[in-house]
Amino acid sequence: MSDQQLQSRQRVDTISPDDTPFAIRMRRIQAVSRNALDELLKSKTATIGAIMMIFLLSVCILTPILATHSPIKTNYRIRLEPASAEHYFGTDKFGRDIYSRVLWGGQRIVLISLAAVTFGLILGIPLGVFAGFFGGRFDAISMRFVDGLIAFPGLLLYLLIITVAREWKLEGFWNDLILVFALGVNTMPEIARLTRGTAMVESKREYVEAAHVVGEGSFYIALREILPNIISPLIVNATVRLGFIILIIAALSFLGLGTPPPTPDWGSDLNVARQHMETNPMIAVYPGLAICYSVLAFNLFGDGLRDILDPRTQDR
Amino acid sequence: MSEQKISNSFGKQTRREFVATASAIAASAAAASVPGSALAAKNKGGTLRFSTRADARGLDPQRNIIYYVSHPLAATSGGLLDIDANMDIVPAIGEEWTVSDDMKTYTFKIRKGVTFHNGADVDAPAIKWNYDRVRDPKTSHSFHRSFFKEVEDVVAVDKHTLRITLKTPSAVFLASVTYYPVNLIAPNSVAQVDTHPVGCGPFKFVSWKRYAKTEMVRFENFWQTDAQGNSYPYLDAIEGYPKKEDKVRLTALRTGEVDLIENMSYADAANFKKNETANYNTWDIPQVGCGYLAIQAKKGPFAMDAADGKLMRQALAHAIDKEAIHQAIFNGLSESLNGFYGTASSWHMPDIKNVKEYDPEKSKSILRKLNAMNTPIAVVARQAYSYMHDTGELVYSMLQEAGFKTTNEVFDNPVLRKKYKKADYGIDSTANSYRFEPDQWYSVNVLSSGPSTKLRTGYKNEAADKLIVAARATRDKQVRMEMYTDVESMVNEDSALIYTHGIPLTSAATKKLKDYAPAFAGPFNISNGGVRTAYLES
Amino acid sequence: MLIYIINRILQIIPVIFILSILVFGFVHALPGDVIDTLTATDGEEDPEVRAALEKEFGLDKPIYVQYFIWIGNVLQGDFGKSLVTRRPVNIELLERIPATVYLALVGIGLSILIAVPLGTLAAVRRNTLTDYTAQISSLAGISIPEFWFAILCILLFALHLGWLPSSGYAPFFSEPGKSIWYLILPALAVGFRQAAFTTRLTRSSMLDELSKDYVDTARSLGLSERKVIYKYTLRNAMIPTITISGLQLASLLGGTVVLETIFSWPGIGLAIYSAIQLRDFPVIQAGVLVLGIMVVIINLLVDITYRVLNPRVGMG
Repeated sequence: MSDQQLQSRQRVDTISPDDTPFAIRMRRIQAVSRNALDELLKSKTATIGAIMMIFLLSVCILTPILATHSPIKTNYRIRLEPASAEHYFGTDKFGRDIYSRVLWGGQRIVLISLAAVTFGLILGIPLGVFAGFFGGRFDAISMRFVDGLIAFPGLLLYLLIITVAREWKLEGFWNDLILVFALGVNTMPEIARLTRGTAMVESKREYVEAAHVVGEGSFYIALREILPNIISPLIVNATVRLGFIILIIAALSFLGLGTPPPTPDWGSDLNVARQHMETNPMIAVYPGLAICYSVLAFNLFGDGLRDILDPRTQDR
Repeated sequence: MSEQKISNSFGKQTRREFVATASAIAASAAAASVPGSALAAKNKGGTLRFSTRADARGLDPQRNIIYYVSHPLAATSGGLLDIDANMDIVPAIGEEWTVSDDMKTYTFKIRKGVTFHNGADVDAPAIKWNYDRVRDPKTSHSFHRSFFKEVEDVVAVDKHTLRITLKTPSAVFLASVTYYPVNLIAPNSVAQVDTHPVGCGPFKFVSWKRYAKTEMVRFENFWQTDAQGNSYPYLDAIEGYPKKEDKVRLTALRTGEVDLIENMSYADAANFKKNETANYNTWDIPQVGCGYLAIQAKKGPFAMDAADGKLMRQALAHAIDKEAIHQAIFNGLSESLNGFYGTASSWHMPDIKNVKEYDPEKSKSILRKLNAMNTPIAVVARQAYSYMHDTGELVYSMLQEAGFKTTNEVFDNPVLRKKYKKADYGIDSTANSYRFEPDQWYSVNVLSSGPSTKLRTGYKNEAADKLIVAARATRDKQVRMEMYTDVESMVNEDSALIYTHGIPLTSAATKKLKDYAPAFAGPFNISNGGVRTAYLES
Repeated sequence: MLIYIINRILQIIPVIFILSILVFGFVHALPGDVIDTLTATDGEEDPEVRAALEKEFGLDKPIYVQYFIWIGNVLQGDFGKSLVTRRPVNIELLERIPATVYLALVGIGLSILIAVPLGTLAAVRRNTLTDYTAQISSLAGISIPEFWFAILCILLFALHLGWLPSSGYAPFFSEPGKSIWYLILPALAVGFRQAAFTTRLTRSSMLDELSKDYVDTARSLGLSERKVIYKYTLRNAMIPTITISGLQLASLLGGTVVLETIFSWPGIGLAIYSAIQLRDFPVIQAGVLVLGIMVVIINLLVDITYRVLNPRVGMG
């Protein structure tokens, strides 16, 4: 989405009449990437957020190389040990290597949140744009559906979906998919409403009406004119959501509906560690910090990105 | 545990002694005039604020299987007989009894002048009404009902004599008429039993705000009195506060918001006992239950009738490192067990044979010999109890190391029950508790026709069955003990149940709470003790 | 406007209908046998008992008949009785809902009190130390998992400082003083977290508004900066804040399960969560439905407010 946005903004200065379509495209891509970096460096929060996120994502990708131990191998003889050269973060109550668990848990949780938010966006944006732009019956019907989902209060939808799915005895990947599904479905209504709200405002603006006058089709207007304009609140929302999902997974772990052990999971590791909060606080600190770090990274990046992407705040 | 005491509970010659004790108590009560007008001990009182992990699920004591042993509401209920601090059965409302020679007829003499909280008499007809209600599957919980399975008839011979006849001889029936598991409610209060129960325990029910607060006040006409003739209980009131989070419950005790808590987390217990002795009393209640692994032996490679089932189960048993569970789950507070009863119990059996020691190499060699490496096995556990699924998690990795292909799953109770019924699991990390009468454990979980055996493990050993049935009709405790020791040796050999640990439970109270101690397996409403004798220093 | 409101109220009916089917479907899809769970027999069950209980709770009829009987009774205000406590569901919920609403309302109120000044300040003093402080403190609120934050609060304020009680509840109308005393800690936990979202949103919508043409026009007309900000921009910037606060309030109605568990707050979330575990289906159904209706009503109020504040949005 961000590329689309940047493209539309760069269009004016990159198109020259005598280029081949291929060259235009290449030049555009170059300009976009060069500009993106320049823009990124202008915003402090975005820079910090981007560095944090790049670090997080690289660690996730490099987990198989970085991890020193099996994340699920228990050994009670070395339980609750402090940090050492052998176990960088010490060991948990089962004698597992916390460092390796944090790494593997991170890879999993980051993938799940990305997938869930993407799923929510894919469902929510088109629904919201069309409902807000076209209004009328389509708006009424789709918003009743969204309302029905929103009316399903808070965590209870997750609790029910996961309780139902628990019995299916899904393992690993499939179990995570259920989580992605539940989290994505619950992300969708907020995205749809937000998109719709902005689309409603935008649809009354002069440039949309102008586009109508010029004779552009509704579908085209909706996509080309509205989408770029609603992107900033959406990105703010989606990045907050990324962090939020990590927190929801932690909350589900607290309620006993998190990832079944022994799969490494920040939320359930933190949850188990709360017993040792006063006696061995460090066990909780590592997964806890990992959660804080990721939530911060996503949020800072989102905040910065918003500033960059919004043309109206660009020159301020 | 002295020999005399052992025979006291169950031997034939004991009745006389029991009657003697009972009359002594009755005499002391009589000396202080009839119960009810007995004076409350001056200066002893106060409101006990008690915080528990769980809240009640309902108020009808015959319909709900809440832990009536350590729950605030337990103070409102009473049974025909009492348990004392050592979990021996002692007279209560039933002040004496006789057992026929064929052990099929129990006749109880009912104490005079005992009333329910609403003033109705606790007499033989009222007790018969209660027992009939418990026997009726439509009005009682199966847990309570199971203790009356062998009852043929209950007869109120006269106002103060109750006769119970059994279908089969039993030396263990007295355990079925104590306040846990079978409570008494006022027959004329049955319409309000789900909203305002009326029992005959030391405290009267006032209100129950679910998840928030339970209130009870002193029952001024409680039948039991202290040596000076002051009627129990001393406390003016009890307030129960369910606080699910262990850390919060402990904090509430330390900030003085509550006076008594149960279920301290294992991680906190050791430190708390070390650092807080000046202001708090703590009790480790050792034999609250026994953790064990139940192997699904109904079908599959571990089945009783599978060709190598026994060897395969032994391979599982050799893979279990009890020391690891002791350290990792219970923080060194538990004890490793080879039978159901821990060392604190008078039923502890030191001579159990055929114990399968931890030896993963042996597991592997068995698997290799049977060409069964990587046999799949699903470890399951209940979500509600963290020690169960924590143990399950550990067992999962132990079995993995010993050459099994394991999965680990945690389910809530309804799903787990479905899995039991369909025999859709491999090994269940579970526990059982409060079986102060051993027949209640062996007849239910080891006997091949036992309901839990049939539901879960499918264990079957004819020799063990015979011993369990015979033990039920044996009065001499020592003889029974030997019989059960043999049963446990068979259980260990067959490895369908792998006992792992005594489950410790730590409760703590401020030093202001005086003369309180839980009984060794947890109950706090016990004869001449617990919540009856407790009071708060003002 | 009146027509719009009436229209929207009529639209609630299909939403509630959809919700009731969703809830009923989910609850009856929960794995495990209700009667078996209830009687929890250790072995062979009594078919007579099963038949009696099925009859008592209407489980002997076909599923769609059960639905219509349920919905019919609900319309007469009868939610049946709890399987577990055997008390009428109305009694079970009557004590629970006010506790949750109380916590959610005060929590959201606190969050707005924190967020609006903080967000406005951050936007007006963009890229200054004030801005960064506001942003970082708002991020701290969301980066910590809720249960962890709550337990830390209890350890700090109740155990170490001794200022506040660790947990508990008293109804507001019978014991107002004590009630507020118990409320402070959980409400702060709610408010602090929710403020993290609203601060960011207030900041970004303020920035949006400040970059609009009318602001420049107003400035060029010589209006004071203070007047521009507080009279015009803040009013417009509040629209998304109110939308999100409304949605937050709605999501808190079932979303305080974790805090209710930790603070021993006898709310509806805790009740429904326990009911899910015990398969107490009359309580789950009624609880989710009643909460859902409240969510729908809140959303309606949010929509109406949105329109009152932003007349540009048409009467679609």
